[in-house]
Amino acid sequence: MATSAETRFSLNGFERRSLVVAFVAVQALVFAGTYTIGRPTWYAFFMIGSAAVTAYALDGDGFTVALATMGSVLMVALALPLFLFVSRQVPSLVVEQALDSGVHRVLYLGVYGPLLAAVASLIFGVPLAHLLSKGFPGQPLVESLVDLPLVVPHSVAGIIILFGFGSGGAFPSISVLGSMIGMVLAMAFVSAPYAVNATREAFESIDDRLEYASRIHGASRWETFRRITGPLAVRGMVTGGVLAWARAVSEFGAVAVVAYSVSFFYPFAGEKVTAQHAPVFVYNTYLQGGLEQSGAVAFLLLAVSGVIFLIVRYLTTDTTTTGGVV
Amino acid sequence: MSLHADVSATFSADGAESFHVDAEIEVEHGESLVILGPSGSGKTLLLETVAGFHPHDGPVTLDGERVSDTPPEKRDFGFVFQDYALFPHMTVRDNVDFGSRYHDDTRDPDDLLAELGVAGLTDRYPPTLSGGEKQRVALARALAVRPEVMLLDEPLAALDVPTRQSLRDDLADVLADATAVYVTHNRTTARALADRIVIMNDGKVVQSGTPEEIFHRPESPMVARFTGSNVIDLDDAPSLRSALDVGSDDVVTIRPESVIFGDDGDVRGTVERVVREDATNRVTVSVDRATVEAFVERAPAVGDEVWLTLPESDIHVCRMAAAV
Repeated sequence: MATSAETRFSLNGFERRSLVVAFVAVQALVFAGTYTIGRPTWYAFFMIGSAAVTAYALDGDGFTVALATMGSVLMVALALPLFLFVSRQVPSLVVEQALDSGVHRVLYLGVYGPLLAAVASLIFGVPLAHLLSKGFPGQPLVESLVDLPLVVPHSVAGIIILFGFGSGGAFPSISVLGSMIGMVLAMAFVSAPYAVNATREAFESIDDRLEYASRIHGASRWETFRRITGPLAVRGMVTGGVLAWARAVSEFGAVAVVAYSVSFFYPFAGEKVTAQHAPVFVYNTYLQGGLEQSGAVAFLLLAVSGVIFLIVRYLTTDTTTTGGVV
Repeated sequence: MSLHADVSATFSADGAESFHVDAEIEVEHGESLVILGPSGSGKTLLLETVAGFHPHDGPVTLDGERVSDTPPEKRDFGFVFQDYALFPHMTVRDNVDFGSRYHDDTRDPDDLLAELGVAGLTDRYPPTLSGGEKQRVALARALAVRPEVMLLDEPLAALDVPTRQSLRDDLADVLADATAVYVTHNRTTARALADRIVIMNDGKVVQSGTPEEIFHRPESPMVARFTGSNVIDLDDAPSLRSALDVGSDDVVTIRPESVIFGDDGDVRGTVERVVREDATNRVTVSVDRATVEAFVERAPAVGDEVWLTLPESDIHVCRMAAAV
């Protein structure tokens, strides 16, 4: 990162925020203009060009301009589809889907199922994270097992779960195929690494001497965890839980294999209903109803994901929740 | 209550060679033992091992009762850490009162904080305190549980000089009648607080004794150098050898404050360096191929020829075999 001495202009906080607002406003205006005249491609070039010009104006260094130019290409790939997706929605269709009770069930399941998975990941992941932060013989093996779901294709993860806990697997009395338990298991399989790793990092950031101080002045190991280690790591736990929740909300492959549609108690209807996990439902709608229909449902799911994203951002960047301690 | 520990423990960190601590210390009731040694000598690890934080072999006994297998919370120690280790999510009062729910007889946190001169901090959080304030709170937390033995790990190391001096005076009062083990690398602090001193190097005790014995009769050049004495190999200072009546393969040690400057003396030397230190000057004088340090009020100029007197009663002879 360039120091203030390396930049052309030294901006204070207000100027920096004003610059960001102005930049975003210009981007929005140009996008709206190019979209209106049916030339979104022009906006792609404008986005790259404006990033380069802004970098030159702020820094003046060729290397920084090159970094900004290359980086903005990636930003185009990430942001342009999102902008076009939002712009091309048919409002009446979105409203229609938003009022559909079937979609309500899907969105409810799409939040509730992942929440169960995140809670399960934390209940069993926090003790494991605490152990991992302290170290033990064979730790690399356990770490590999924890991280494995991050690299296993998720449809494969679904198959693995069916082999492990489905017909002929362990716990034959528990039905996982097409059940809520199966869906939560599939979600936990792919999201638990996030809960474990974030919590573990929080434990590792706590000075051992705080635990020593607690022990020597009378607290047992459990009391030390309850009064010192746990409270100091709580932000990491919450962050890990929300990351796991967010990951489970977006899970498609493993859930599609294990629990394509599930029955669950839907409190707003006061009875058991059957629905699909939201990403599965969006895919299904796309196959059966086409792009416009699935786009409207996807828009609603995107809004839910956006809220979760904002929570994650808040928890991972805000330090006031624990007074900046953790 | 007396404390005896004869412990052996091995510590290893990723990518580093393992470090072995094998040391014996003994503290009588009401005595302050200072463990003095250079950084990395294992003194903190020894203290933490005695406290029960690390697995170890060998006994730790309190009044003859073995506590080696007792968890730290049952050992009846108070501990003051170098970096304070205050609980950042608790107020100062809650920090000091931390041990009250685990001990029947604890001191009132408000009284204790007032005694230590930080009564106004009770509702503050540790991240908002200065280093000196944090250390007083840490001391209060340790004293609050009325420990049988106080363990202090370089509690003054991270403080500025005026705060350190002020807190050292308070510590001297607090430790006057307490049974305490105090770890430091600062010889001034050691001399000020110790009834007895243990010198550690490379995980082992290399000398123990009263401050007088340690500072004036070091058993090895390492101890002499670390405690600030002159260490003079007589092979490098033939003119000094002829003035002193000692063996052929000896090194002699003498405190810099015992070396006398004058118009006449035992040996003649040349002033190499003069460093101003508070109210005095530390002067380095070369004698043949050796150097001798002394404290003088009136600083000579670099290059001056001076006479030094090394009083025989203040000279201590080390055998070369002990030269570590």
